[in-house]
Amino acid sequence: MIRHLFKLVWNRKRTNALIILEIFFSFLVLFVVGTLGLYLWDNVQRPLGFSYERVLVATIDMEQSDDNTFDPAQVATFERLLRETQSLAPVEAAAGAIIVPYSLGGYNGSWKVNGRRVETEFNEVTIGFKETMGLHLLQGRWFQKGDEALPWRPVVLNAALAREVFGETDPIGKRFGDPSKEGTEPERRVVGVVSEFRCNGELSGPGNYTFMFKRVGLGEAAAAGGPGPGSSLSRPPRNLVVKVRPGTPVEFEEQLAKRLQAVAPAWSFVVKPLAQMRESSFRLRLTPLVAGAIVALFLMVMVGLGLIGVLWQNLLQRTREMGLRRAAGASRSSVHAQVLLEQMILTSFGVLLGVVLVAQIPLLDLISFIRPKVFTGGIVLSMLSIYLLAALCALYPSAMASRVQPAEALRYE
Amino acid sequence: MIRNYLKIALKVLLRRKFFTFISLFGVSLTLVVLLVATALLDNVFAAQAPEVLGNRTLGVYLMGMTGPESTRTGFAGYQFLDRFVRPMAKLPAVEAVTCFSLPETGVSYLDGKKIESSVKHTDGEFWRVMRFDFLEGGPFTAEDDRNARFVAVINEATRDKFFAGQPALGRTLEVDGQRFKVVGVVPDVPILRIAPYADVWVPIGTSKSDLYKKELVGNFMGLIVARSRADFPQIKAEVQSRLEQAKPLIYDPKQFERLMGGADTPFEAAARLLLSSRLEEGSPQKLWAVLIGLAVAFMLLPTVNLVNINLSRIMDRSSEIGVRKAFGASSWTLIGQFVIENVVLTLVGGALGLLLGLLALQAINASEVIPYARLAINLRVFLYALLIALFFGLFSGVYPAWRMSRLHPVKALRGRSV
Repeated sequence: MIRHLFKLVWNRKRTNALIILEIFFSFLVLFVVGTLGLYLWDNVQRPLGFSYERVLVATIDMEQSDDNTFDPAQVATFERLLRETQSLAPVEAAAGAIIVPYSLGGYNGSWKVNGRRVETEFNEVTIGFKETMGLHLLQGRWFQKGDEALPWRPVVLNAALAREVFGETDPIGKRFGDPSKEGTEPERRVVGVVSEFRCNGELSGPGNYTFMFKRVGLGEAAAAGGPGPGSSLSRPPRNLVVKVRPGTPVEFEEQLAKRLQAVAPAWSFVVKPLAQMRESSFRLRLTPLVAGAIVALFLMVMVGLGLIGVLWQNLLQRTREMGLRRAAGASRSSVHAQVLLEQMILTSFGVLLGVVLVAQIPLLDLISFIRPKVFTGGIVLSMLSIYLLAALCALYPSAMASRVQPAEALRYE
Repeated sequence: MIRNYLKIALKVLLRRKFFTFISLFGVSLTLVVLLVATALLDNVFAAQAPEVLGNRTLGVYLMGMTGPESTRTGFAGYQFLDRFVRPMAKLPAVEAVTCFSLPETGVSYLDGKKIESSVKHTDGEFWRVMRFDFLEGGPFTAEDDRNARFVAVINEATRDKFFAGQPALGRTLEVDGQRFKVVGVVPDVPILRIAPYADVWVPIGTSKSDLYKKELVGNFMGLIVARSRADFPQIKAEVQSRLEQAKPLIYDPKQFERLMGGADTPFEAAARLLLSSRLEEGSPQKLWAVLIGLAVAFMLLPTVNLVNINLSRIMDRSSEIGVRKAFGASSWTLIGQFVIENVVLTLVGGALGLLLGLLALQAINASEVIPYARLAINLRVFLYALLIALFFGLFSGVYPAWRMSRLHPVKALRGRSV
């Protein structure tokens, strides 16, 4: 039966080739949409590693776009801001950071550690960051008072990075840097491991994260010995994160902004709840995706209607063939089955082509961020939907074909 | 002859309504998507009010510093603009030069309510280069800028928020703790018009600190208005040589050894940004090729769909083709006829798409996804759409026409499949 159907498909190869091509392109569209959808869904399921509730973010505009200077005067002003914020009654904890969650952009670094190169996002934060953001410490300790005076620089990693670099061994106290660069680069040592910190939010994929210690809070000593321009430790912390007590009224946002403005008249501040930044970041990232999904949906409707039309027309031409089969005793359902199976064979060719093409992505390592699970899920999902679409499109024309009266069909012969 | 073809085309379209519907659905949908994309790009790149001089304006938008290991990219820095670009106003080929910052968020609290506005710091010349239709008052001047007077021009939306739509002239508003006197009110400018866009425009001199004055790469932009487009190459070369002159000012010559950037049209700036990670001069032709490639890739699926439907239609008409061939019509005549039929179909679909596209653009404008968006279909966008529809018609019509022309008359007359 199947072999016979292949023959039938082959006999009409030119018409069928175009249908296969159409199914191939549709498969690609569905694959892209399905994989992206699954990728986001999979990301949303993963733990975030921090809490955005009751957190306010004050973004500081230091009226300079340069990221390489944070001079002693600025350090002193920043310390005053931090102290002032911590002294306010509704404030539970506060910290400075060069990057806050849900903001666009970030810092990426690539270091040679233990002889291999690791890519990691990084942030420089002050002591209060763990309490403010509700980070979960798994091992070791967080930054603490006195860390300014250490002869080396403490870092805290997320669990994924600790596992990538140190495997099963205990990372605490280990060097985090390239030993060959000793002397030219400050020595960093791991002091703790946190469970996770997905700075770009729920929609972003998991990755490596490194917290470095921002040296403020020691006043002049740190400032005087502070590194010069161009050094990675001279990045100004452009954000204050503030955790407020439960029940703090919304007006506190304005009070905080005015307080900060009074302390540092030369800088500008935008105070926002982190929850609000989360919403706008969702909007920004999802709007183009939703627009794309709507376009893809319309494309699929178009393909569906087109397939119905083409199949219908093809079957009209094969009226005699169907009539003959009916006259020779084939039941209506077996004609039905023939049409559906033929359609499935065509679809399989299109899908096969699509899978062969798509399989190049992991083989050639084109897009590394898509995990194997998501990738196979995307293929399965798009295969299911394209078979479903093809079957749905074949239903009506095949019903028409099976209703052919043998006498009528054979009249023309 | 052509009239006859058109008549036949219409008759055929009306005969199989389901097929016509499917074809038109596909064609118009494809064109709606491409039309919205075109309208967006046109809104970003084509000169329009208030940039009436846009056609002969070059901008120093993007700047960067590169060294052997690191690259820093951003927008132009004020020091470079002030010391090297502004003096170019004295050149005979240059009519005017203006410098202004990127818009930054400014916060105001009004009766406990937070208002965020985009604040742009500009010089006085800005208002000569951008020709706003002032609703109230007028621009601030170069003298206001020099003397750091706290004056501001605001847009209509800001007037609505701060003064409930009442006349705002002479009243004050507080942004980021600074109080400005309103000297003018202008209509809203869409955010897509990067150079003029803001809610509140204030003099550069009122900046809170003067750190920006030391920057070579920063968050400023400069526009150079040429006397005519013919002067563009000369101005570009001049900016390049001034970039060389500014090199000794790089604060960290060990890390960075070259200044990147140049005078671009907006489209050239996009090419510089998108085609090179170090802000090398980009080729606009390449960017065009990329855009056209994307459009064609998007058209692939609708094209295959349309080709399939067209082929099905032919089967329906095989007896007509057989008769024509039997009476001596050449293959080329038949190809011509069918391509024309298909172009008629895509143009009808295009007209539908234009209507749907207008609705889609209005929906985008109303949704405020893009602040103050005024996406519209002007003559230029319409012509692009026509071009796309024609291309689509040819693209999807040639193969079915070729197949049709090869039908064997005897077989075709019998009504057999190909």
